[in-house]
Amino acid sequence: MFSYVFMKILETRPRSYDRNINRASLGKIRAIKRQIANQATPGSKVLEIGCGTGELAGMLVAAGCNVEGFDLSPSMVGAARERIKSEGLGDSFTVHNAGVDSMDIFADRSYDTVVSTLVFSEMSDDERRYALANAYRVLSPGGKIIIADEVSPRSGVLRFLHSMTRAPALLGTYLVTSATTRPLDDIAGELTAAGFVVGKYARSQGDSFAVVVAVKPAGDKNDEPA
Amino acid sequence: MMSLLKTIWGLLFRLFPCPAPTGLREIGHPGPQSPVLVTCNFDLTIKRLKKALEGLDVWLLVAQSGGVNVWCAAGGDEFNTHSVVSAIKTSGIGRKVTHRTIILPPLSGPGVSIAAVRKATKWNARWGPVRAEDIRRYIKTGFRRDEGMRRVTYTLTERLDTALGSLFPFYLLGGALFALFDPSLLVNYLLVATAAFLFFFLALDSIPGERGIVKAGYVALALLVTLAITEFYHPNGSPYRSSLIIAVVMIFVYGSELGGLAPHLPSDLDPFLARLGVGAVGNVAFAGTVRTELLNGYRELTYDHEICEGCRNCFEICPQGVWRMGEDSKRAILADRDKCTACRACLLQCQSGAIQAKKRDRNEPAGNSYIYL
Ligand SMILES: C[S@@+](CC[C@H](N)C(=O)[O-])C[C@H]1O[C@@H](n2cnc3c(N)ncnc32)[C@H](O)[C@@H]1O
Ligand code: SF4
Ligand code: SF4
Repeated sequence: MFSYVFMKILETRPRSYDRNINRASLGKIRAIKRQIANQATPGSKVLEIGCGTGELAGMLVAAGCNVEGFDLSPSMVGAARERIKSEGLGDSFTVHNAGVDSMDIFADRSYDTVVSTLVFSEMSDDERRYALANAYRVLSPGGKIIIADEVSPRSGVLRFLHSMTRAPALLGTYLVTSATTRPLDDIAGELTAAGFVVGKYARSQGDSFAVVVAVKPAGDKNDEPA
Repeated sequence: MMSLLKTIWGLLFRLFPCPAPTGLREIGHPGPQSPVLVTCNFDLTIKRLKKALEGLDVWLLVAQSGGVNVWCAAGGDEFNTHSVVSAIKTSGIGRKVTHRTIILPPLSGPGVSIAAVRKATKWNARWGPVRAEDIRRYIKTGFRRDEGMRRVTYTLTERLDTALGSLFPFYLLGGALFALFDPSLLVNYLLVATAAFLFFFLALDSIPGERGIVKAGYVALALLVTLAITEFYHPNGSPYRSSLIIAVVMIFVYGSELGGLAPHLPSDLDPFLARLGVGAVGNVAFAGTVRTELLNGYRELTYDHEICEGCRNCFEICPQGVWRMGEDSKRAILADRDKCTACRACLLQCQSGAIQAKKRDRNEPAGNSYIYL
């Protein structure tokens, strides 16, 4: 049982963010990114929501993907651009300084995969709905979305334990950053509401962390380009 | 119940953040033609707005401000262009109304660029009135702003509100200290703190000095004189000694940061910290976020009449009435520069570059410069 709410503090220092979140999660976050990259199809086009410093994007490029990412924080985008230089990612990773609300700049049916790690728990209900609707729109039919984030455990007992372990971290985080995160209550339901078909849904860390894969069905009649 | 607790918390700790969920709210029974108002996600603000709007049918779009009120959040970059753009685009308000007019709270002027909101959303953004009580009249008169709707006031109720909000944390803090170390002095402390703060906020304009820190100096002096008198009558040590000394410190703390409390005075702490290179203390942003130019030594706002395009933005947004529009030239005129509190709203809203932040140059004649930060 663990909470990532303190990531709001780590985010304020993009240069050390990757190192710190990995230490704090005992390497788990990096392992999940590896796993996502390992399962990627070489040559596919990926859109990353809230790409941070571009750690996952770098792994995806190494796996042969072409990644476009965006992040709201200018300093995160700065760190991602430094990575493009230092890791020689060149044109295989482009990054925009934009929030979820700017997802309308990405064209219909132009990506094979949308990924997002530890970002949805920072969004408002409206932002998540908007992000999922746009992810659906920009994916090619048959394309998939992968979301890894903190979730609310399903059983009442675990949920209670989770909120208890979370409380001190939440308070500390709030005092330092005036910001907080919310574990996702029903990400599968939200994905379904956006039109996706939820596939693999792996839970870990006392049911409080999830990696969800969902697919945009190939034959969606409502999604013919205008 | 939760809501009542939040209201009480909001009133007593009104200087602390208290976030409410963001998103679209219905007031009355709004329809496709109903006006859309934007506000922050400070719980107390939303409650007061709802009260002021009772009986009207409007959409209230609550945007992210970190649970802080509009003005403070705009000054600290918590309530910014992105908050408003994101709220407009992700809330789906465009599907609920047929018009494309959105009314912004003018005290968001230091953080929300109206031109950038228009550009990013294609919505026709306009400034509403400063005070919630005027919204009804503003809507009834077809979104017309009169002079009173542009300017901040500092009425008796508002003064009591800030005095109470400032006092309460000190009641708790000092109360706890006295209760621990010397409970017999607790009542004295509460009396002194209340008297000092009520006097400070109610008599603020009559206390000499232009800046809060100077005014605080006079109040501190009065408190020290009181201390001397009580010491005179209590040769064995005045029971008011500790209370009065704490009150002196408190008055200086608040006096230096009146920018955040009294709407017509600038902050003294901000530029001071900026000079030391400090932009934020913990999560409290001083000059570090939006006011980066302050940190870089750009301490002067200047106005160039030649460049002005007469868009009226500065005149509409300045809550202090510093600007006037020229009758024939149609350009802005710096009518009352002494009233400027350096909120920087005009700097953000001016699109022509006529208003700029510059490095202070002591050799240059004062010229157009109108405020030293
Ligand atoms: C905890 S970090 C995770 C970064 C990266 N995905 C990773 O796993 O290393 C969350 C990131 O989401 C970004 N973010 C939060 N809300 C966002 C929004 N509405 N639009 C775009 N990015 C956002 C933040 O700026 C931050 O970089
Ligand atoms: S003139 Fe001064 S008070 Fe008025 S908007 Fe500009 S900075 Fe703010
Ligand atoms: S000074 Fe700037 S904001 Fe004011 S009227 Fe001229 S162009 Fe507009």
